[in-house]
Amino acid sequence: MNVQVETPQETAVLELPPETVKLQIKDLNFFYSGKQALFDVSVSFAANAVTALIGPSGCGKSTLLRTLNRMYSLYPGQKATGQVLLDGVDVLGPRVDVAALRARIGMVFQKPTPFPMSIFDNVAYGVRLYEPMSKPDLAIRVEESLRRAALWEEVKDKLKESGLSLSGGQQQRLCVARGIAVRPEILLLDEPASALDPISTARLEETIAELKRDYTIVIVTHNMGQAARLSDHTGFMYLGKLVEFGETEQLFTSPVTTRARDYITGRFG
Amino acid sequence: MTVATGPRLSRRISEGVFLVFCWIATLVAVLALAAILWSLLSQGIGGLDLNIFTKSTPAPGSEGGLLNAILGSLMMCAVAMVAAVIVGILAGTWLSEFARDSYYGKVIRFLNDVLLSAPSILVGLFVYYILVAPLKGFSGFAGAVALALIAAPVITRTTEDVLRLQPVALREASVALGAPMWRTILAVIWKAARAGMLTGALLAFARISGETAPLLFTALNNQFLSLDLTKPTANLPVVIFNFALSAYDDWRRLAWAGAMLIAATVLTVTVVARILAREPNRS
Amino acid sequence: MTTAADVSAADVPTPPRIARGTGLDRAFEILCFSAATFLLTALGGIVISLAIGGWPAFEAFGFGFFTSSNWDPVQEIYGAAGAVTGTLVTATLALLFALPLAFGIAIFLVELCPPILRRTIGTAVELLAGIPSIVYGMWGLFVFAPWFAKHVQMPIMMSVEPGSFWEKITAGVPNGAGILSASIILAIMILPFIAATTRELLLTIPPQVRESAYGLGSTTFEVITKVSLPYIRTGAIGAVMLGLGRALGETMAVTFIIGNSHGFPTSIFASGSTIASTIANEFAEATDRLHSASLIALGLVLFVITFAVLALARLLIGRQVHA
Repeated sequence: MNVQVETPQETAVLELPPETVKLQIKDLNFFYSGKQALFDVSVSFAANAVTALIGPSGCGKSTLLRTLNRMYSLYPGQKATGQVLLDGVDVLGPRVDVAALRARIGMVFQKPTPFPMSIFDNVAYGVRLYEPMSKPDLAIRVEESLRRAALWEEVKDKLKESGLSLSGGQQQRLCVARGIAVRPEILLLDEPASALDPISTARLEETIAELKRDYTIVIVTHNMGQAARLSDHTGFMYLGKLVEFGETEQLFTSPVTTRARDYITGRFG
Repeated sequence: MTVATGPRLSRRISEGVFLVFCWIATLVAVLALAAILWSLLSQGIGGLDLNIFTKSTPAPGSEGGLLNAILGSLMMCAVAMVAAVIVGILAGTWLSEFARDSYYGKVIRFLNDVLLSAPSILVGLFVYYILVAPLKGFSGFAGAVALALIAAPVITRTTEDVLRLQPVALREASVALGAPMWRTILAVIWKAARAGMLTGALLAFARISGETAPLLFTALNNQFLSLDLTKPTANLPVVIFNFALSAYDDWRRLAWAGAMLIAATVLTVTVVARILAREPNRS
Repeated sequence: MTTAADVSAADVPTPPRIARGTGLDRAFEILCFSAATFLLTALGGIVISLAIGGWPAFEAFGFGFFTSSNWDPVQEIYGAAGAVTGTLVTATLALLFALPLAFGIAIFLVELCPPILRRTIGTAVELLAGIPSIVYGMWGLFVFAPWFAKHVQMPIMMSVEPGSFWEKITAGVPNGAGILSASIILAIMILPFIAATTRELLLTIPPQVRESAYGLGSTTFEVITKVSLPYIRTGAIGAVMLGLGRALGETMAVTFIIGNSHGFPTSIFASGSTIASTIANEFAEATDRLHSASLIALGLVLFVITFAVLALARLLIGRQVHA
């Protein structure tokens, strides 16, 4: 027989070459007060690359993201088992300094979350937590961060104004600047453009593409065009399971699993 | 073809009576307010001269003012507010940020709500029992403690309410930068909620500045000007109470002037607090 | 020249990754916890101090403290029944007067009020709630009582048949001070609280619920009585209890206008006393040990009554509205 019948697989997770891996997740299970939300997720995220997580709402993609910086440990009743290895060290371990971990992993949220303080103080907030810095040094750091978030030109003359006075798209880039000001190694983006208009979204995407040079970026998005445009790898999640993970181009053009194929073709018509 | 004829007559009558009643009820409340304000103005304005602010309470028949009472009230309210703001903000923060849905948190939240509207005279009795009786003397300090115990639950409740209104994402955004919880609360959450917290403090101040019952047997009264809070301290509400029920016309005039002062203060503070509360949280 | 933008994260050594003051988290939580516990202690302290302070009175009079209305500082005989009855009667009457009016105001503000007036009238109701109790007392005694005596009390007393039941319950000195006047002043005082809470409750009703009732051709009256009020029933009962709790514990206004006589109130125009007014009048001068113990014991009775009422109110209202 030379006709090959393609049997669709249940799950298909691409293994990355170990030397490129920044963050490795092993057998991760997650529970909201007893209710399981993630099932045996094992996947690796590459350094200096963008990984996108897609899937229908409630599939666990945001939960997965919030496990990586242990945001869940703010809430009693939420629990994760398994391993998340950052440069080989398990961040879920009991002896991890959670605050220090979070300083290594920046996060940007769905809705812009500027703090009720000036633009300058917003960006300096995280820096001041960790590094006693002279005023000029701090100013340099703030400028650098705002430039990298592509916001500098728009706000350089009003750094003393409230962060809340900016437009939605500017606020979100302010949050990006705030996140990178502490010089994290990883950036987690939780649907960062879902509250933005198309123009602001485009600007934010440019910023993300630019940041890829220096950071490991994981982005959760419901916008598949965005995932396709931005990411190197994409993971498709469904009902708390990682169904398929692979090179973005491969996943979007020839998904191996039925579920991913249905989801992607369903969306694209 | 029939045209809709509208509700039947009996329905229209009950509707009419009902609407008129609602109008009248509101009118009653507005008229009551107007009547009280008018009395305060017409009776109080006559006694309101410079002496009120420059002279202490007089003996019957002689000239005097309310200076000692005004100063005493201000001092006691200030001390009470400092204490109540510290306790209230911390307690409200605990309820909102740490207690969450724990059992102990629910108990405290519930009891604080009860304390919020407990009879103030009982707070006076309590403070008499723990401070005045053991120390063998009425004092302005005891009065301030009583007022603080009345103001603290108000501030606790409003603080918890406004902190709970702050988006979870704001806390997470700060925590995600590696900030410890206490810094997140101090630098971000309190800052975001400060207008609401100020409103709560102002309402608490409005509440205690007219309180009389808890001062009757804590601060008592003092005929003379005294800045010493360890001694019995004159205060506007108790002076008004004593003078109003006296047989002397000039004392009664002072009582009305004092009542007008207090009402004006309380109402102004209330209005300012409400305006503040309506403002969106801008920085 | 290197500008800030040229410096990439990789060029800079990783900064120390220990946030300053992380260890203070626990301390801050304990501080907040202590403040909350302090409030609990205060409430507990009130109960305990009232119980201890009032104990000699319970010891001396036993159950008779609650059943006797004889309050005689000269003979050192103290019975709480008169003050307790006065408290319950004035508060209940106040509630009866305030209830329909407060509901009327709340409904007016939510359903009927022209938008331009809404804020003004809403503020007026709030201000009514903000007026200090001593101002109500003065106004009640010097303005309301004379008017009440002339326009209500006298006409009623003149028109009742001598020797009838009506004469008995309207007997009294026609000076405008007494049980009924106190109840009316109390009613005005608790009116805004009940109205404000009820209004907030009415605003929690989803618009679709009301709109669908209107859509069926209901009149405002029918929507309110058949849909809105049943919808907020539990909370509305709570609001009423909250008003009752305030009326029970109100001190200064009542002290001014109730006439302050001990014993059972005999008619609606007769003078009387409440627990709070008795304490306010006598405590500072009660030098005798049993006298002050009896007053503190009265305080404990008041605490138990108001605590029960307020606790029930809070349970019924819940937390969705600010009351």
